[in-house]
Amino acid sequence: MTQGDRPRESTAAPVERLRESAVSVRDLRKSYGTVEAVRGIDLDVSAGEIFGLIGPDGAGKTSTFQILAGVMAETSGDVQIFGRSPVEARPAVGYLSQAFSLYLDLSVAENIRYIGSLRRLGVSEIDERGDHYLEMFDMLRFRDRLAGRLSGGMKQKLALVCALIARPRLLLLDEPTTGVDPVSRREFWDALAELSGMGMTIVVATPYLDEAERCGRLALMHQGRLHDSGTPGEVRRRPRLKRIRVRTGNLEAAERILETASGVRDTQRFGDSLDVMVDETDGGEAVAREALAREGVDISDLRTEPPTLENAFVAVLRSLGGEIVVPPFPFDRTRSPVQSGKVAIGAYGVRKWFGSFQAVDDVTVEVRHGEVYGLLGANGAGKTTTIKMLCGLLGPTSGDIELAGERGSLRTAEVRSRIGYMSQKFSLYDDLTIAENLRFFAGVYGVPRGERDRRISWVLEASGLVGRESLMTSSLPGGWKQRVAFGASLMHAPSVLFLDEPTSGVDPLARRALWKMINAMADRGVAILVTTHYLEEAEQCNRLGFMAAGAIVAEGSPTQMKARMGGRLLEVQVGDARRATLALREAFGSQRVSQFGDRVHVHVDTPVEIAGARIRGLLAEHAIDVARLDDIGFSLEDVFIDVVNRARDSGGRETA
Amino acid sequence: MEADATNAGVGVRTLGGRLAEGRLVPLFLKELTQLGRNRRLVVMLVVPPTIQLLLFGFALNPEVTGLRLAVVDQSRTPESRQVVSAFASSGSFVIPAQFASAEQAGASISNGDADAALVIPFDFAERRVRGDTATVQLLLDATNANTAAIAGGYAARIVESLNRSLLAEVPRAARPIGLTTTVTLLYNPGLLNSWFITTGLIGTLLVLVGSLVASGSLVVEKETGTIEQLLMTPASATEIIVAKMAPLLLLLTADIVIALSVARIVFDVPVRGSLALFGVAGILCVLSGIGIGTFIATFTKSQQQAQLMGFFVNPPIALLSGVVTPIEAMPEWIRPFTLVNPVRHFATISRGVLLKGAGLDVLYPHLLALVAAAVLLVGISAWRFRKQFG
Repeated sequence: MTQGDRPRESTAAPVERLRESAVSVRDLRKSYGTVEAVRGIDLDVSAGEIFGLIGPDGAGKTSTFQILAGVMAETSGDVQIFGRSPVEARPAVGYLSQAFSLYLDLSVAENIRYIGSLRRLGVSEIDERGDHYLEMFDMLRFRDRLAGRLSGGMKQKLALVCALIARPRLLLLDEPTTGVDPVSRREFWDALAELSGMGMTIVVATPYLDEAERCGRLALMHQGRLHDSGTPGEVRRRPRLKRIRVRTGNLEAAERILETASGVRDTQRFGDSLDVMVDETDGGEAVAREALAREGVDISDLRTEPPTLENAFVAVLRSLGGEIVVPPFPFDRTRSPVQSGKVAIGAYGVRKWFGSFQAVDDVTVEVRHGEVYGLLGANGAGKTTTIKMLCGLLGPTSGDIELAGERGSLRTAEVRSRIGYMSQKFSLYDDLTIAENLRFFAGVYGVPRGERDRRISWVLEASGLVGRESLMTSSLPGGWKQRVAFGASLMHAPSVLFLDEPTSGVDPLARRALWKMINAMADRGVAILVTTHYLEEAEQCNRLGFMAAGAIVAEGSPTQMKARMGGRLLEVQVGDARRATLALREAFGSQRVSQFGDRVHVHVDTPVEIAGARIRGLLAEHAIDVARLDDIGFSLEDVFIDVVNRARDSGGRETA
Repeated sequence: MEADATNAGVGVRTLGGRLAEGRLVPLFLKELTQLGRNRRLVVMLVVPPTIQLLLFGFALNPEVTGLRLAVVDQSRTPESRQVVSAFASSGSFVIPAQFASAEQAGASISNGDADAALVIPFDFAERRVRGDTATVQLLLDATNANTAAIAGGYAARIVESLNRSLLAEVPRAARPIGLTTTVTLLYNPGLLNSWFITTGLIGTLLVLVGSLVASGSLVVEKETGTIEQLLMTPASATEIIVAKMAPLLLLLTADIVIALSVARIVFDVPVRGSLALFGVAGILCVLSGIGIGTFIATFTKSQQQAQLMGFFVNPPIALLSGVVTPIEAMPEWIRPFTLVNPVRHFATISRGVLLKGAGLDVLYPHLLALVAAAVLLVGISAWRFRKQFG
């Protein structure tokens, strides 16, 4: 698929052909013993491009990066960086590995100086370049701060400055934003767009599909091979699918009906809507309407929307046979499901002080049985402290907490036997086998003996590990571990479930399988509280709470949250996205303009026609052609960033 | 499951009750599996104790041999040669050179060519013949006070035995020759041999290995974040800590056997008293070690921190125990502190049981002290753990 497609891509972007080739890879292979990590990839990246490698853990991204960076030799194949071998080209390459090494007890400036001196640069030269990039990334005022005291996003940007100090022509970034909150991530990608505009070539690996949207071109990497490369637009359109978004009061029934309806390729449930994928040529909307009407399900809204990158990747991964079938959970039939609607997790005016630092300020949250509640916040917003208080690991300084019908003593064995918990760092024992881990958790949670084997085999089946249960847990890639851990936290059929960033490093198919399980649990009346950095995932929650500076600053369903945003979001496709971004930032403010590959997103307050005319006018003044201008509507990420920025600016909270 | 929990009640729940609920069993199994899979741990349990026992048993033997003795024999008589040969044949001294005057001999000590000097005066033989006390002078390099003291002790013994043989030989010469020396003897060096060291060292090793292993196995759960997962299960902090300690106790009991075997086989240490008493003392010592390790783990976030903290805690325990340095050699003010050191009491029991064949009737105060130390250390550390995580 990849090989055959290349000529077609080049006609789609004839300008790219003229550019100098930065990276050229032919039939690259890398084996570790009998394991083939990279199985013959072809890759071309032109100078000045941002190229994204998208894929789950264990897809071979890191091996590819290490070969490109010249720090590891390939098993076979041809790799050229600016026409030279990777080792020769090393001085021209900046490489940010996943575990980049900042010295946390050195200041920002000292870190830069140290890296610069390793590259044998003069002190004045280092300072000059360092200050230049710090200013560019809006970090100059933190010059003397210790690296350890920077936020996650800032640390990442500092690492980037360190990689830039030798003025590389090619930047290799291996998952530079894992564990970084959405606000910092957007800042980071703004910085990348800026660098690319200045002619730097950037190859970046990321598991986040919203980040993939910001690449000029991208390719999906899966099991050592590249699939489906092109611009984000090309990739989205390639499966020739239409996405129909259905809103209804009864999502469970609607999903059940449409899953099996003819012409429907796929369904995916979100917090307050259902996505149905149908073939482009099909009737689409009419088919869905009819099917639902036949079963008497009321539709409050139904519309066709453009497919997302995730839709495209899921289609590709499915065609590769990566589908995970989740068997239904083996519930104990003698126990009736929990009554939906009753409060399962309640926090009332909860505050937490650590010494003189207030981590959580007056948080009031109610999560009911049968509900999926998403708690979102930037790093340091108080999410982790809040979730620890809610599940009884940490006592609040003041305020009341209710958990599974219990107030006061949350730390009894009885309460905890009804709670499932999956922590962020996770949580399976690396030195036990998968089966040993599962047996341990089943035992310690007191799963009835007669049930244990059935539950354990359910977890193995649901995580696609049947027959591999005697593997050492440490040998599993992160994403797989997450899935087993998730299953382990469900084995005792809890009535309340806490999931702290459950899907980091999990590929889209596995993530969908995971959310299917979460939804099945919620349908049985389980109350679920999820924290995530991943706003696409937040779409799957029934209700969301955004946290900033220890307080919940906004709350509501995904649709309600998006409706809170004043104004509209316009996407402008232009010939020169970088110049357009600069021009529009001058007019609208830098917070409101972001570059996404060859498109620019502008957040406007005036009606679409007026704003559209203004944008066209401004770009015409700069002699920039506008190919398209669409009103695309806000993503949850836009809302989140807006809310957090506003809370930061006002120093207080807005009324929810 | 829920029914079980309610039946058991919130009141005083016995260990048996907990076992019936079945949580200790999986916790216990998990710890055992993890310990069993940890090769480094198994190596750590066997190799360092063996090597250290061998090393210290041989190396820390404070017997002094081959002291270089500068001899100034001004008498030059058969009588004086008798004294010199008594020193030379003792094995403790070698005689590299003879000097004409005491000044030359003194210079050779200050040059570092000799460790001691023996000066036999002109009138030595005459005095002996007259039946007066004949005096020889011993000069000692006291830079190393310990060595000097020991050398002085040897010299005294050599002269004493010479006196005895002279008396036996010539009964009428009732006056012994004398040797004036101002060296104070802190302990009898002859008693201090590998038996003394190894019997005490077993206790140091048990506490050391116990604390290292316990802090390691707990801190690793903190480091990887699995402790939170564990605390979210219905298992209580007490159950978690009991399940952590019990398998370690079991494993470390093997160390008692290993250490005793090494002492028995390599150093031929006798077992004159009750092995059971020795075993109980050993187990209490291991428990104290586990208590110390757990305590350290509650204060640290990473294995590295725990190890550094171990460096801070363990040497005083090892040194202030009377295992190597006698407690009587320590300053007065520090001696009471050694009373709370479990290793001190273990050393006393171990020496009493193995070397002297003493029984409980004599050693019970030390056993009680050991019980108190173990209970206190385990109790405090479990309490800290519960406070931190309960």
